[in-house]
Amino acid sequence: MKPAALLVAVAVLLALPAVLNAYALTIFILILFYGFLAQAWNILGGYTGQLSVGHAAFVGVGGYTSAVLAANWAITPWLGMFVGAGLAAVLGAIIGYLGFRFGLRGFYFVLLTVAFAEVCRILVSNIDALGGALGLYITFTGNPRQFQFQDQRVYYYIALALMLLATAVAALIERRRFGIYLTAIREDEGACEALGVDTFRYKMLAMVVSSFLTGLGGTFYAFYLFSLQPNTVFGIPLSVEIIIRPIIGGAGTLLGPILGSFILTPLAELSRQYFGQSGLHGAHLIVYGLLLVSVVLFLPQGAYPYLRRLFNRA
Amino acid sequence: MAVGLTLIFGVMRVVNFAHGDMMVWGMYLAFVLATRIGLDPYLSFVLCAAALFLLGVAVQRGLVDRIVDAPHEMQILLMLGVALVLENLALAVFGPEPARIRSLLARLTWEVGPLYVDVARLVTFVVAIVLTLALWLFLFRTELGRLIRASADNPYGALVIGADVRRIYAAAFGIGAACVGAAGALVAPILPFQPTTGLSLSVTSFNIVIIGGMGSLVGAFIGGLLVSVAESLGAVFLKPSLKELFSFGLLILILLLRPAGLFGKRAT
Amino acid sequence: MTTRLTRRTFLATAAAGAAVAGFPLPLRAQAKTFKIGAVHPVTGPLAEPGQACRLGAQMAVEAVNAAGGIKSKGGLRLELIVGDTQTKPENGRVEAERVVAQGAQMLLGSFDSGSTNAMVSVAQQRRVPFLIDIAAADPITANVAKSVKEGQQKVQYVYRNFPTGSGFGRGAVRYFTEIFAEAKVTPTRVVVMYCNDLFGQNQSRGFMAAYKAAKPAWQVVEDEVIAWPEPPTDLSTEVSKLKSLKPDVIAPITRPASAQLLLPEIRKQRVESLGIVGPGSPGLYEAGQLAALKEDLEYVLTSVPWANFKNPKTTGVAEAYRKRSNGKTFDTNSGYSYDAVFVIADTLERAAKLDDPDAIVEALRTTNYSAGLMQYGGPIVFNELGDNPNAIPTMIQILGQKPVAVWPREAAVQKLVFPRPKA
Repeated sequence: MKPAALLVAVAVLLALPAVLNAYALTIFILILFYGFLAQAWNILGGYTGQLSVGHAAFVGVGGYTSAVLAANWAITPWLGMFVGAGLAAVLGAIIGYLGFRFGLRGFYFVLLTVAFAEVCRILVSNIDALGGALGLYITFTGNPRQFQFQDQRVYYYIALALMLLATAVAALIERRRFGIYLTAIREDEGACEALGVDTFRYKMLAMVVSSFLTGLGGTFYAFYLFSLQPNTVFGIPLSVEIIIRPIIGGAGTLLGPILGSFILTPLAELSRQYFGQSGLHGAHLIVYGLLLVSVVLFLPQGAYPYLRRLFNRA
Repeated sequence: MAVGLTLIFGVMRVVNFAHGDMMVWGMYLAFVLATRIGLDPYLSFVLCAAALFLLGVAVQRGLVDRIVDAPHEMQILLMLGVALVLENLALAVFGPEPARIRSLLARLTWEVGPLYVDVARLVTFVVAIVLTLALWLFLFRTELGRLIRASADNPYGALVIGADVRRIYAAAFGIGAACVGAAGALVAPILPFQPTTGLSLSVTSFNIVIIGGMGSLVGAFIGGLLVSVAESLGAVFLKPSLKELFSFGLLILILLLRPAGLFGKRAT
Repeated sequence: MTTRLTRRTFLATAAAGAAVAGFPLPLRAQAKTFKIGAVHPVTGPLAEPGQACRLGAQMAVEAVNAAGGIKSKGGLRLELIVGDTQTKPENGRVEAERVVAQGAQMLLGSFDSGSTNAMVSVAQQRRVPFLIDIAAADPITANVAKSVKEGQQKVQYVYRNFPTGSGFGRGAVRYFTEIFAEAKVTPTRVVVMYCNDLFGQNQSRGFMAAYKAAKPAWQVVEDEVIAWPEPPTDLSTEVSKLKSLKPDVIAPITRPASAQLLLPEIRKQRVESLGIVGPGSPGLYEAGQLAALKEDLEYVLTSVPWANFKNPKTTGVAEAYRKRSNGKTFDTNSGYSYDAVFVIADTLERAAKLDDPDAIVEALRTTNYSAGLMQYGGPIVFNELGDNPNAIPTMIQILGQKPVAVWPREAAVQKLVFPRPKA
């Protein structure tokens, strides 16, 4: 996408809060937030081709850390955010180390990430100091120093900033040699190793960056929704939400995750509105599943590359 | 249950993420049969197996077939999508509340000296052994079975000898699904199930198959025994709520130490 | 080529933005009504109680309107704007924002504590009075009270008419003590078992805390509280452990799934006891559970918020509810939502102005309402935390395959049967 087009898009996004009502604003906040998480995942999953279905664990670690620091030691979440992200990165490093050192690829790596996320979930559910299964409830004070805002628009801009940050990181990676290495690893790791590329190092780097960013998201989640429950923030449903956006939108592309979020978040909301009236449970997840299957079968590269080809031809 | 998964992987190198959710459908099918026509699950499991066989073939022909050569990630995502659809379709059709089938057998206990044996579990165990033996006989003694094993070992070789690989794949997937259908029906009277049970069943299946070794029938069976014993022991010695932790921890350990499992062939 | 993409993207985004912005266009109804946003988990894992809450609220709104609406405000009618959280906290927030954007001036909800807390932030941010009909986690109201006390927030907009986790615990311990005294037994080996999820942990914590504070004559085996992951696949090990502890009273906190495994397992392993007395949980009295468990549930006691069936009005509403819901019992969920709407109606009668949220809150805070259909320990009032101290549970027992209130005496519809008769 040309830089001019990008600037226009960003300008539009910046201007939106002026025209949207609170409900629509909330939806956009979620689009941007999930887009951010999607982009963070994309660095590991899309560019490097290491499918992680346990990214929720990083959200959880990030969120819980800053919530606990704020509640017990009155440390402002602005700082706690980075501590949380740091811890998430440590967890990512551990998973990465174990996975990559022991040569786990593809399906086995997926299982490893799922297992770790579930282990975290169960552990946190059983640690009373972290609120156990009940979770942590954050007091609403509206105090900006505590990462809370009386005005929703601030949340919007923060979510936007996060998404732009992740996209910028991904763009940076894409252009540098680092990104090229990652793509090469994704396409044919064996060949890379044969050529003497230190695949372990690059995979680890991607993992750490990805988990750090995701961890930042955890704090946003905690201080936007005011509660953390292990089943929600560490659970597989959140991991699915995180991975489905880049996959449908286009894994390994810069705009794919964002497009994915713009498509799927409103879709989920609409399907909830529509099916919720008739009491059909979990309908939006059926849609997710069908979309996933269709994309894999017909559009394996995702929506964004397909659209780009379409428009380029036109 | 695990035997079905290992069969699918062994033959097509496709990991069926939807395994647990298929089993849940097997359970619901048994539930419907039990409540609508009063057919006891210990009898209806044959029907459930047949129905899931058809489902398996359909999934294989319609979906998996197209991506057999595609990179692993695509297969994983495809089956994940199928799992999502199955689970939430069950949710939409049957609702989120747990369902349970009442079978006469499920209420009996048998006194054997100082022990109380749960008759339902005993029957399930026996039937499972019988079915596994039947499957083993099928794979090792029949023509189709031999073809399936041949395709698993060497797809190109199988093609060379004129085997209709697509049909074989369909059969394998179907049988794998049938196993899980039977398992579902047999277990339904013992285990209250909800649409969300699919995930834990999938994880348990993976645990077993990885420990026992992907692609090995014997491994799946032994793995099943090992995992259940380990989980029960874990429940006795650890805080019961950490039981789940134990099985995941075990999975991580096995993944790191011996991804090929005890009896499996090294992944190509 | 790429320029086209730019223009299209811009137009598309703008169009999408406008569509979403205009999406919930509040069409002003011809007759002015007072809108209440009722947000419950009507789909998802808690769909059944969520739908019960919504139906209870709807029936109450109809009843209020049929009786003439808010009389002091010229017969103003109530209107419900309904929302669905799917038990996800983010949807709690989204739905709260949506109904407020559509004109809701008060919020009602939302059953699970995560979504409820998300709604709290909206209530406080937008100054919308929020009456919680069901949600037990103590911090939900306590946190708001604290931030008002510390000056971080000016007004508390959140109130709750439902027992809190700690309230449940205290009520259960009180009933245990009274029931044991009534049966003239003093059990010394009460074994507490619970499902290790949000609800179970909260309840067991509340119960144990209340027990330690009360120091009753009867005793819980404190170091051996048995927990299981919810939903469980198998409870035989846990029940063996239970049996090895030689309990005289079994105190389980269950969910429907685990109850279906636990009770038959207790019977199968022949664990003898004076009785099964639950400190309070679902799974032991619902129609679906009774159908699945039959005799295994007989004589089981549990302490739950319950409707006051001695009140003739209650039985009338229960009958109407049964018809509208295709045979469901008027229970905790439908009941508390029903009462909540009436509390709101009462508040609106007394509020000085209806377009000032602070005036509504003032009226809400000073509520003293005695016409509730649920079993209360007094009139509905709100304390300094925003909770109703008179919201208490009732001890019910399954007798003749039906749940009936047996304790406290003034609520009892039938006589308590304890210890359970030998099989």
